[in-house]
Amino acid sequence: MAAGALCWALRAARQVLPSPCPVQVRSHYVDWRMLRDVKRRKLAYEYADERLRINAIRKNSILPKELQEVADKEIAALPRDSCPVRIHNRCVLTSRPRGVRRRWRLSRIVFRHFADHAQMSGVQRAMW
Amino acid sequence: EKDASAASKDNTTKGASKRQEGTAETPKQKLLDIIGSMKVEVSYRKKLQQLKASERKKETMSRLDGLDSEGPQRATGDIQGGKPLNPDLVKAASAVASSLPLDKKQTESELLAQLRRHEETTDKQKKGETIDIRNVISEMTVKRQSPAQRGARISGRISLELDEDGQRLRPERSQSFVSIRSLKEGKRLNIFTKASTEPEHALKTVSSPTIWDLEFAKEIAAVTAQPPRNGFEEMIQWTKEGILWEFPIDNEVGMEDDAEFHEHIFLEKHLEGFPKEGPIRHFMELVICGLSKNPYLSVKQKIEHIEWFEKYFEEKKEYLQEI
Repeated sequence: MAAGALCWALRAARQVLPSPCPVQVRSHYVDWRMLRDVKRRKLAYEYADERLRINAIRKNSILPKELQEVADKEIAALPRDSCPVRIHNRCVLTSRPRGVRRRWRLSRIVFRHFADHAQMSGVQRAMW
Repeated sequence: EKDASAASKDNTTKGASKRQEGTAETPKQKLLDIIGSMKVEVSYRKKLQQLKASERKKETMSRLDGLDSEGPQRATGDIQGGKPLNPDLVKAASAVASSLPLDKKQTESELLAQLRRHEETTDKQKKGETIDIRNVISEMTVKRQSPAQRGARISGRISLELDEDGQRLRPERSQSFVSIRSLKEGKRLNIFTKASTEPEHALKTVSSPTIWDLEFAKEIAAVTAQPPRNGFEEMIQWTKEGILWEFPIDNEVGMEDDAEFHEHIFLEKHLEGFPKEGPIRHFMELVICGLSKNPYLSVKQKIEHIEWFEKYFEEKKEYLQEI
């Protein structure tokens, strides 16, 4: 137990290392819209199981309809931000809502910037 | 040379086994004839090495046994380690020793020691104890020079490379010795095999790390963590941080599902809280069918799903009975 605690301390210390090159420390999200999106994602993760089960009762042809109506009301009573439909894939660096490539989670402008500076592995200017 | 010396040792062991079989039947003369026919090529260098080996062995034997370390006494006293040796074997050993040109008493003691070891190993095998081969091999390397080492040393002395003048180059001994040693020693790097989860040695016996300990640890980490000198060290650092996966890629990292397949598929035993007939049972059977086909959930998650449905239908029981 003592050894484990020491290892944890060393690991924590390693994260606080003063690395040779200056690293940008980002403690805030880019803007409030990104923060709201983050909250929606967290809630959606929490309520995912419940929503799945209640929807399984609702989208059914076996159970009686009254039960399904009750399930309808229940799912409507859940917090609004818990539904995954409200999540919007924004750019991770600039929080741009449009023009975001899903594979890199970056907006087209940021993607182009990094690709031109050869910081995207395997990405090359197209020429044919 | 090395083959002959190894052969001589093999011959002595074979002779011991032969003696074990033949002493009861054949008279002493036949034995002596057999031993005389066995050619033991002994050179001066080998004699020295054997003497050194016997000395080393005697030291270790004396340390291990903790008994009298005098050779001649051991030759006569054949009860060692609580196991009496066959008196015929002892007589045969003395006969062999007298026939060989080396020091009689030393050879006698060596042969008796070998016989004793044979008995011990056979006893262990009879009892069914697991013979840790590693221990045996490590013992062997401690007491005797391995022929590979001897060969390397001998070949290291003679170099066929010629210098510019035409003189023979003196081989760099230090290199060969270092390479010989470093192969077998040293901590495993665990590059090709998975790292075994051995408990790390407890350095301190502190109940909880104080703030000063944390600061000290941070200081040490900051000082000792040099920036990576090359790409390999950078990749090592990334692997430690978790940025880079461990190769060869293990598809089941972080996914420790110890449950067998039957626990995933046969989920009907969890359906005991439900009524046996009716739409609810029908519904739950469909749920179970779907869960059994789901490879992404663990057994616990599946059981949680079923239990949630149980609770839900319990709550709605009164409402259901109205219908």
